[in-house]
Amino acid sequence: MTFETRPDMYSSVQHWMEVVTARHGLSEQDWEERLMVLWSYCHSLGKDPDTIIQEALDERDSKLDYMRHLRQWSNDQALGLHTTHEMQNVVRSFFINNGARVLTKPYPDVYGGGGS
Amino acid sequence: MEFLEVVGSRRSIRWFKTWEKVPRDKIQRILEVVRLTTCPGNLQPWRAIVVERDALDKETRDGLLGADNWQGAHTQAPVWIYWYADPSVTRPESFQERTVELTDVGALPPAYGWSKEMIEAAIQRGEVVQAGGPAINELIHGMPAEVGAAVAYAETVGACACACLAAVNEGLGTCLHMIAAPSKQDRVKELLGVPEHVLPVWVQLVGYPAEDPEAGGQRPRFPFETLFFEKSWGQPFPRDEEVVSQLTKERLLQEPMPKPGRFDELKFLSRMYGYPE
Repeated sequence: MTFETRPDMYSSVQHWMEVVTARHGLSEQDWEERLMVLWSYCHSLGKDPDTIIQEALDERDSKLDYMRHLRQWSNDQALGLHTTHEMQNVVRSFFINNGARVLTKPYPDVYGGGGS
Repeated sequence: MEFLEVVGSRRSIRWFKTWEKVPRDKIQRILEVVRLTTCPGNLQPWRAIVVERDALDKETRDGLLGADNWQGAHTQAPVWIYWYADPSVTRPESFQERTVELTDVGALPPAYGWSKEMIEAAIQRGEVVQAGGPAINELIHGMPAEVGAAVAYAETVGACACACLAAVNEGLGTCLHMIAAPSKQDRVKELLGVPEHVLPVWVQLVGYPAEDPEAGGQRPRFPFETLFFEKSWGQPFPRDEEVVSQLTKERLLQEPMPKPGRFDELKFLSRMYGYPE
């Protein structure tokens, strides 16, 4: 698989950035970090972002496979619970804002009876 | 709060302070409001199961949340009120019992022809009700079960609207959700011990709002003149701007969405709870 030089050369990534920036006004720094995560995820699959999104939209099972891979890949980074969750959210945001709805859960202590 | 401000301030709150318990007396006060809500024939088909999220075992909690697709607001709200409708109380015999009771206590006036004998004749034997009374012979005598079920469901939906206003009156945030995807309703019934014949209506999420209680402003509504008519369908009931001005002062009418800062609010709420942006 030949990848472009940067992830934001792909239309699905451009769309994601436009939609989220229009809504939330993320900074360049925010985007550099997010793009790194997405790029790393795509490379782990050997597929470019546009291909991933198209397959996720075409086929529910493909989308579910991508989410399973996301959980496995992010856990394999061994970066701690919070960072792992954040990385997963970057990729989920990419999917969601390109029209591929995915299940999202909050931090586990939101509903786990945490707090005194 | 005054009534009009309660109605104007009601929002579907979708972000809750997950750490803040709801006092038990406030939940009872919501239920007490619903108990007195209007319904035909005083049938009262509504039933509710109150669940405190943090008192559930993991299997039940995850089962209930999974049935609602892990929707964010549901995971955050500390109290869930599951509203069901009991169609067994909308059968003709129940109508008969309830309307006789209303006649006995003076709610249904004899001056309009109400009597135990008239009710029995109309509902049991389908005898025509004289002019001046409701045509309960046509509506209720031999009423199919599915019609009774529709009545039970519709009236409980109305009660849920009152439940939402009651929650707002208590200073709480609230929102109505599907109890479950249709394919998962049976699982919820199993988890909550709900009888098979009872109809799922809504789950009312209750808690203190994590978002601003104005939640970005009043939601868009169709224009007044397209909804309400005078004398005949399609002839608009004119909306008096003087009344609109007064209702704005009384806070029935409030600033529409999106208020400035709404999307920033959503961004930071997402981050607080760990949702993607």
